[in-house]
Order: sequence, then structure tokens, then C-alpha cells
Amino acid sequence: MSEINYRIVARIIGILLCFEALFMLLPLSISIYYNESDIEAFLLTVAITAIVGISSACIFKRHSNQMGKREGFLIVSTTWVFFSLFGMLPFFIHGSIDNVTDAFFETMSGWTTTGASILDDIESLPHGLLFWRSLIQWLGGMGIILFTLAVLPMLNSGGGIQLFNAEVPGITHDKLRPRISETAKRLWIVYLSITLLLIILLVLGPMNFFDAVCHAMTTTATGGYSTKQNSIAYWDSAYIEYVIIVFMLISGINFSLVYHAALGNYKKLFQDEETKWFLFIVLLATAIISAGLFISGQMYGDVEKTIRTALFQVSTCITTTGFATADFSKWGPFFNVIIFCIMFFGACGGSTSGGAKTIRMVILLKNTVNEFYRHLHPNAIVPVRINRRVISYELVSKILAFLFVYVLVMAISALILSALGLTFEEAFGCTLSCISNVGPGFGRMSSDFSFEIIPSFGKWVLAFDMLIGRLELFTVLILFSPYFWKKS
Amino acid sequence: MKIIIAGAGEVGIHLAKLLSKEEQDIILIDADIEKLQRIDSNYNLMTVVGSPTSFKVLKKAGVNNADLFIAVMPFESRNITACTLATKLGAKKTVARIDNYEYLLPENKAFFRELGVDELIYPEMLAAEEIVTALRRTWVRNWFELCNGELILIGVKLRDKAQILNHKLCDLTRQDNYYHIAAIKRNEETIIPRGNDELQLNDIVYFTTTPDHIQDIRKLTGKIEVDVRNVMIMGGSRIAIRLIHIAPEYIKMKLIESDREKSFKLVEKMHDTVIINGDARDIDLLKEEGIKDTDAFIALTDSSETNILACLTAKRLGVAKTVAEVENIPFISTAEGLNIGSIINKKLIAASRIFQLLLDADSTNVKCLALADAEVAELVAKEGSKITKAPVKDLTLPKDLTLGGLIRNGKGIIVNGNTQIQANDHVVVFCLDTAIHKIGKLFN
Repeated sequence: MSEINYRIVARIIGILLCFEALFMLLPLSISIYYNESDIEAFLLTVAITAIVGISSACIFKRHSNQMGKREGFLIVSTTWVFFSLFGMLPFFIHGSIDNVTDAFFETMSGWTTTGASILDDIESLPHGLLFWRSLIQWLGGMGIILFTLAVLPMLNSGGGIQLFNAEVPGITHDKLRPRISETAKRLWIVYLSITLLLIILLVLGPMNFFDAVCHAMTTTATGGYSTKQNSIAYWDSAYIEYVIIVFMLISGINFSLVYHAALGNYKKLFQDEETKWFLFIVLLATAIISAGLFISGQMYGDVEKTIRTALFQVSTCITTTGFATADFSKWGPFFNVIIFCIMFFGACGGSTSGGAKTIRMVILLKNTVNEFYRHLHPNAIVPVRINRRVISYELVSKILAFLFVYVLVMAISALILSALGLTFEEAFGCTLSCISNVGPGFGRMSSDFSFEIIPSFGKWVLAFDMLIGRLELFTVLILFSPYFWKKS
Repeated sequence: MKIIIAGAGEVGIHLAKLLSKEEQDIILIDADIEKLQRIDSNYNLMTVVGSPTSFKVLKKAGVNNADLFIAVMPFESRNITACTLATKLGAKKTVARIDNYEYLLPENKAFFRELGVDELIYPEMLAAEEIVTALRRTWVRNWFELCNGELILIGVKLRDKAQILNHKLCDLTRQDNYYHIAAIKRNEETIIPRGNDELQLNDIVYFTTTPDHIQDIRKLTGKIEVDVRNVMIMGGSRIAIRLIHIAPEYIKMKLIESDREKSFKLVEKMHDTVIINGDARDIDLLKEEGIKDTDAFIALTDSSETNILACLTAKRLGVAKTVAEVENIPFISTAEGLNIGSIINKKLIAASRIFQLLLDADSTNVKCLALADAEVAELVAKEGSKITKAPVKDLTLPKDLTLGGLIRNGKGIIVNGNTQIQANDHVVVFCLDTAIHKIGKLFN
């Protein structure tokens, strides 16, 4: 291996920052429309981001096109950090978040579609900032790199594939079309269509247009930022809750399957094993929680509302969205454990959700069953099959490694948080919530969704958890391995 | 253009990589997932796992709207079946790799059309043709005819007898202008030379010239044309058999084959060729069979290493021209650095032939042929494009590309600094890999 091609890394990040500046024009126009106090903050941020972006892109104009795996990992990881650094400027300049730690935490939580917030009075924010919060989740949901792959012909090459692999979650990456830019375009079109459809459905209910747009973006991104402190509970509308449940679940399904379904190939979607398992887990968890709520006498009004509340919390946690219509942490430890488990599972690979992904859990479950069988029949060849295709042992061992690292990172992070004074439940709960990109906290952090009381070092740790969770561990962690930086 | 390649062997993978860089939609099919995984995660193309002779797999790959279907699996019968299926399912054009000379005969062409196979590629035949060209022009390393032979690209290795050795390019261009030095290959590196670059010993220099000045180039480089009359071939492979069949009558061939059984079979197939049973690495045998009077030595065994070594031995024994078949692609650049006249690689030949077929079918005006790590493209200058705005020296062209020559009204012209490109000229452009994307901007 040769020297890392830093020039191309710097140039691509510069170009990406220009895109971020362009996207900032949207909240800017909204704040001009409402004529609120954040106009100046956005103007300044757009100027700073554009200047840095353009100068980086121009200074490194001359570069060799050599782009391998290492450049791919480096570009993707650092892009997400840079986007958070520049994305936090509007909050910081406007003064609605007065320190760097909180602003970075809030923005990283946005880009990674986590939805954990340090704000405890969201309604006081001007519209522009509220929109920016939702927009970064929407962009982060499908992936900012994926967006650039669709529009930047420069990346329509082998190098683009490296970026695609480093950013898109899931164990295998289905290409919809031979050329990466076409694949990216189609994924974005699916994403955009789902969002537009949801905006229309929400406007039809008791939600105004601005809130509908913001919530539609954070729902399809499975992000969870709301424009209200009480989240979806603010509207107290069965219609809105059901619509959001359905769209959270759709956004939790592999987007290439949604694409095929949109083209009329429903079979592929409903025959997919991962989708079936995913929906099964949702129904099972809902049934258990509803039954538990009945038995423990914690009914929400009538039967329908109780089941709806259970279904909503399950959907929001398993798709790692993080909206809320009830405070599940008050239900009791039994329910917390169930929620904890489904947060860990997450939804399907290739979707906008976080977590370990259903497909990985299914493969490991099947592998474990096979392991029992192998104890009795040591010579039997019993492979793991998904959709009738045999999954290679290499892939299974990759998934085992993934899960081990996932748990290890969680343990280390929880250890640090507990040293900073969090309880056992809070330390593990908040870590899981961040690494799985869900959002709601446990214990003291569960009320008002606010992570504000965590010490600032803890916030940096959690922000880092969010990043590695969103990029599925290895893309970020590999930068910390000595192999990455060695020349040969 | 949507191109489906069936078979991820060396030819298939080479083609897929080559074409995926050319902004084509590539889908590669193979039954072996292992072969596909690596290329899938590193190149801008899509892969489909499954047998290319299955309806289901072909449909999944979207053969119904494919512009070109290329079957390059190891077995010709499978290739033909795959092409037949692909045509019936809607592929516009199909190409199959075959191993049988009979299929290429003109009278069978219509039959294969009926079967749904539009083009047949027989790599051994193409390799044999290339060897014949090499024997005709012994002093040349590479020979490409561009624009229907109006311009010729010649690669020559400079020895100490060359007149132009240690001259700067700017001094050379003052003389009457019948050639252009487009590229220099020095050690592992390809250079697009500028005026102050100097020609050094052992450089492979690529000239573009018109057909009537070929002999001048030969004199300039101090080469002697050897009239090849006696040829010794090592290894009775299919290429050897084809070569013996198509070589001109006046060339006398001697074939050395180490396998006795095979030698007898070869004797049946060939009438006026002498077949020797023995090991061509044995110097005594070579001397006995008259290596001293041999003009060209061609090594065509299955082992690339044996071929390279045998050619080096022959060269030491005084043979003027050597040709080695090197099938391991990574070996080629090493072999080129050694003292071997020409290198033959079936896979690259097959891939570049398919590439040409494809370009003929394509409506865009870019033609490329892979040459070391540089490329040659033939483009038509559009009305009002940047390239027609000023004489070449005032155009401030990027450093990694150069204009080799142009065809105006069917006549080849060599480009120099004062040449003014006009609209509708066919221009031959040389560029390093990094510069390909810059070309389009200049011409449109």
C-alpha cells in the first residue's frame, strides 16, 4: 500500500462542505420567511462553510485519482465529523445552545439520526433552527455520501464504490444498477417519495405544514427530532400516530426492497426473510407489552389506545426513531428490558435505522441453532440460509466479530459514563440509545428526552458512540488501528 | 450502454474492469460467488451469481435490454448456448469466445447468426495473426494501425545504434516533420514527453507516422529489418497450429514439442512443417536444429516462465527476433523489461478485440486501445470546440496528454505545434490514465 492520498480526501471533503452550505440555504430561507432571530446565524454559517469548502476544494484541485479503501474510510468518517462541526454553528452562533459540547452533541445526534437532545425547551427555538435540526436528520438518514454519489460524476468510479461500502449499513450491499451513481439516485428517489407521501398524509391530519415537513423528514430518516417538547404526544391524535407508525416501519425495511416493491415487485419484499422477522419481532414485542400493561393495570384509556401506545413505542424503538407518545421508562423494569432488547436489534439492513440490524441477529440465531445440532452430528454440513441462499462461514464470523465489537464498545462507553456518576441503568441505557441511534434516554435522562445533565466528557463519548453506530463500527474504528496508518 | 459479461475468468474480469472505467453499465455473471466478490466491492459494476446458461439468471441480469452480451466462459459450447439464450431474451448483440477454427469460416457465419451469435472471438487465431505481424516487422515492438491505416503507431526500443539517442525532443522536431513522438516507456513508467525530455537508452518510444515514412523511422532508430525466413517454434499449442496455417508460404517453420504423443498428432495436421520431439530449453538440441540460422524464435508453451527463459536463451544464441507468450498478466511488464522482442497474451488480445467490436457499435466517437498504462483515443473535433480555437502550441493542453496526428479528408497528417485543428478532423490523442476525462471537454 502506498501513502494515503490526502489531496483527494481534502478535495472531496471540500466539495461536500459546499453541498452542506447549499443545504443551509433552505433553513436560511425559512428564517427569512418567518423573519426570526436566526437569520444572522445562518448567513454567517453559510459563509463560513462555503469559504472553507470552496478553498479546500480549490487548493487541492490537483490530485491523483488514486482512491482505495483507506481513502474511502477516511473520507466517510471525517466527513461526518466535519458536517457536525459546521452543522452546529447555527445553534452556537444564534446562542440557543451556548457551549461547544452541547452544540456538537446535538448536531452529531442529528446527522446520525439518533435524536438524543440536550434541549429542554424545543418550542422556544426559531423555525429556521427547528427546520435545520430536521433537515440534518433527513440528510444523515440516507447518508450524505450517498447523496453526493448521486450528483457528483467525479465519484462515479471505483472510488465511489469504496465510499458507498463505507457508509451504507447492512452486511451486504445490493446494487440496484450497475453504476453507483444510478444506484444512489434510485435510493434517493425512493427516500424522497416516501417523505413527500408522508408530508401529504400528515398535513391531512391535525398538523400544520411546517410541522408536517419536519416530522416527515425525521420519520423517514428514523431520526426522532420533533418540533415539540412532547414529541408526537403533543397532537394526541390516533391518525397521526398510525401514519407515523406505518412510515417508521417502512423506513425500517431495506430500501432496495422498497424500491422493488414500488416498481410492482411486492413478492420480493414479502418473501424476504429479514422483513418477515422484523415484522414478527414488532408484533411479538407489541403483544407482550400490551399484555403486560393490561396485567399491571397501566392502561392508557381504552384497549385500542393501550395497544396503539405499545405499538408506537415498539416501532419507534426498533426502527431507532425515538419519537414518543408515552414514557416507557415509567412502565417498570420488565418493559425496559424488552425495549432495551429491541433497541439493540434495530430494523433491517440497508434502511435508515440503526442498531445491530435484524439480519445479523437472524443469522446469528440460526448459526446458534446449527451449533447445537453440530454437537450431536459433528460431521454434518449445516449452513445458515437466508432467503434459501447459503451464508458463508466467513460472513457469519464477520457478524460475530461485529457483535463482539458492538458489545465491547458499549461496555467501555458505559464504564466511562458510570465513572462520571451515571447509574448502571443510565450508563448502559444511554450508551445503547446512542450507539443504536435511537435517542430516548433511561433513568434521569428519560424525562423530557434531555441528555443535558450528563457531564460534558460523557457527551463527547456518546457523540462518538453515535458516529460509530451510524457508520457500523468498522468504518470509524479502523482509523484507530495501527494497520490503517502503516505504509506497507 | 448496458453490457453483460458472462464468465468471470481472466478475460471477463479484464474486460469488466476496462469497460467499467469507460462509463458503461456492466453486469458480470458467474456461478462462482468467490470470483465475483472481490470485483463487486471494488469496481463500479454489478454482479449476478448464477449460471449464465440459465433463463432465470439471464433475466435477473436484465438481458432483455442489454446492448451487448459477451460470453467468455472457458467452454465454447456454453458460450454459444448462453449467446443463443441471450438473443432470444432480447440482447441486441452477442459475442462468444470459441476454440474451433471451423466456426470462423465465412460460410458458417449465417448459421451462427441464426443461432443468435453475432460475433465469434477466437483468441488463438488473433494471437497467431499478431505473431505474423511481428514477424513481418521484426524491428517493431508494437504496431497499431489507426484510422484505417492512415496513421501508424509504432513502438520501438532504442538501442545504442539509434541516431536519435540522447537528443532532446525539441531538437528533433526541427527536422522535416514526418513523425511525432507520442509516448515514452521508461522502466515501469509511461511518459508523455515534452520538448525538453531526452531520449535515453532502452526507452520504448512510440511514434506516430504516416505509412510512407515507416522506413525512415526504422533508419532513425538504427534498426535493421530482418527478412524472416526460418522460424523455430517452441510448444505445439493451438496458437502454434494456427500460426503455421496462416503464416506466409516462404517462411520455413520448425516446431519443437516435448510431448511425443502430441508430436505425432501434430505431424498428422501439418504437412510441410518439421516437427522435432524434444525440449527446446536444451541448448544442444537448439544448436543441432540450427538455431544459428534461425531468424525468429517463438515460445508458445503453457508456461510463461519457460517461454521467457527460452526466448532469452535464443536471443543469446543470436536469434534476431523473439516472441514469447506470457499468460500471467502481472509478468508482462517484467518480460517487457527483458530482452524479448514481442509479448503475446491471449487474454489481452481477446479483450481488446471485444473492446474494438464494442466501440464500433457505440455511437460515441471515442476509440481507445490500451497501451501500457496510457491510452490512445480517436476523436472527432466538433464545430466550435476548444481544441479548434488556436494552433496546438497556444492551446495550453494538460501535461498528461498529447496529440499524435490527425486525419483530414482521408489523409494522415502529423501534428506539431503550429498545426491548427479544424472541425471534423479525426484526431488521435494519447493520454495517461489520469487524463481520460479531460479529453471530452476539449473536443465537445
